[in-house]
Amino acid sequence: MCALNKNSSHANSSDEAQQARRQTAIENVLRAHPGVREAAAVLDESNHLEAFVVPDDGFVDDVLGRGTAGSTLVSKWRKIFDLSQFSRDAASTSVGFNTMGWDSSYTRGAIADDEMREWVENTVGDILRLDPKSLCEIGCGTGMLVIRIAPHCDRYVAVDQSPAVLERLRQQLRTVPDFAERVEVVESQAANLDGFDENSFDTVVLSSVVQFFPNAAYLTKVLEKAVGIVRPGGHVYVGDVRSLPLLQAFASSVELFQAADELSTGELRDRIRRRVEREPELVISPAYFLALRRSIPKISRVDIRPLRGRADNEMTRFRYEAILHVGHEDAAEFDDDFPDWAERRWSLDDIRSFLRQHPNERVGIKGIPNVRLGKDLAAMAFLNSGDAAYTAGELRRHAEQSAERGIHPQSFFDLETEDLGFAVFLSWAACRRDGSYDVFLIPRESLRGVALPAIHWPKPDASEFVRLANAPGQLRFRNELVKQLLAHCSQNLPNEMVPAGIVLVDMLPRTADGEVAARELLNARLA
Amino acid sequence: MKGRAEIREFVRSLLANSGDEGALADSDSLLFSGRLQSIDAVEIVVFLEENFGIDFAKIGFDKERIDSIDAIYALTQSVAKS
Repeated sequence: MCALNKNSSHANSSDEAQQARRQTAIENVLRAHPGVREAAAVLDESNHLEAFVVPDDGFVDDVLGRGTAGSTLVSKWRKIFDLSQFSRDAASTSVGFNTMGWDSSYTRGAIADDEMREWVENTVGDILRLDPKSLCEIGCGTGMLVIRIAPHCDRYVAVDQSPAVLERLRQQLRTVPDFAERVEVVESQAANLDGFDENSFDTVVLSSVVQFFPNAAYLTKVLEKAVGIVRPGGHVYVGDVRSLPLLQAFASSVELFQAADELSTGELRDRIRRRVEREPELVISPAYFLALRRSIPKISRVDIRPLRGRADNEMTRFRYEAILHVGHEDAAEFDDDFPDWAERRWSLDDIRSFLRQHPNERVGIKGIPNVRLGKDLAAMAFLNSGDAAYTAGELRRHAEQSAERGIHPQSFFDLETEDLGFAVFLSWAACRRDGSYDVFLIPRESLRGVALPAIHWPKPDASEFVRLANAPGQLRFRNELVKQLLAHCSQNLPNEMVPAGIVLVDMLPRTADGEVAARELLNARLA
Repeated sequence: MKGRAEIREFVRSLLANSGDEGALADSDSLLFSGRLQSIDAVEIVVFLEENFGIDFAKIGFDKERIDSIDAIYALTQSVAKS
């Protein structure tokens, strides 16, 4: 028995060694292809070999996209913003509130003025909390932030690539006293910031603009330059970022809203899949910003926050802001535990009572269900259950009735206005696909005047780093790359070693000892 | 000068690029119905600029004016007359 075991164990380890050699051989063949930056071959649950490939962005853009895919997308967006200013209504917009082009994905009509006002005032508030004195805004658009923030700054540089939008902005700025001298308006693409010296601003703002970048590589190039022109102690504020972990929920939400009552859930699923595949805007995971510290060492830390606001719209539900802290700063640091909300299911009143009774304690809670997304998640859970024998109308009613309760993020922010003496911070850094968030409440006096303390927030699972952004307009080229890679494997490997599938990813997660984390890769594929 | 048939063919090719091979009447909404996305509107605009010499900076732009084959054709006719 003992001998048998030994033999069997020997056979197993020999099988494993052979398997490892096969995986290495597959990875080597894939890495030899010019479209591959990194590759890992992994055995899936059914013992099939799957390959995960980090594509070479240059190859996808320059070779498969013939060097035009990215720049074409940038030009198309510029044209769209130009066109938005040629409409009959654009000339009559009020100064600082030109919302032309801000259309709802749900109704395809303009987003209501009161919702836009709330959005802009909250965005302005969040930027002013960074205490900007010399600010460069990349993608200033029609100047909704310029008008409100420039009076607080000594220098404000407003950069945009759309000449028609800038012309309208210049006309409006001329009507405001002092603005012509205070604000420099510069026509330039986001990626061309070479005219600014290093460390010449304390704040760079990119608000509601990165979704119009062609890919994550372009965004990284822009952020490298943005961080470069910010002096240590300053910030890069990236606002109104569309969330990749919530892209599926967003697509489900919009398609269900637009579906006729009688549409089958099967057809609805197809529409959601097509919407995700055809998404023309850049949708980014918070994990992208967290990982950015590795490639831009001047970033000392990153905060990811859900947006403020009571309005129920696609910005408050599915978008976030990323604040990149540049260089060393002397901030109060907190490394507290975050008990899970599900352990005690606190209500807001429970939390308020606790704060009153413990005015000197800090409170961290993670995984608070997000009321904003309750209906969307209920509908998505029902759709994913695979039962196709319902209609969209029935699904909507089901979602209304079964939406999980939770706490509205704005209710936490509102605690700051009560006489509790606590400062409130929220985080979406954990990248959970249910949109749940984490909160940290700190007695205001323990902050000692620091606006943004360094909080050690709950981190995302390693699998969240596998896909960092979508690839708008690149579906065709990425499918072509997968086809090329399979053909390349067929030519260079024995049949039994050709991977069953090739999945394109943004990063290969690794274990503490540097091995590729296979389980995380497989989990990310299924997510 | 191109006419309605060319406009129809162009719109069909745009829809086909998005995987939409469904029936299409000349009066069907393209943008407000969601069959084409905002970013596809640029393709229509460039098509009209290049083939009909339309300058939207001069005549103004609203999505309604390019939302169907009928609307696009009417726009080309009105510009030709002016």
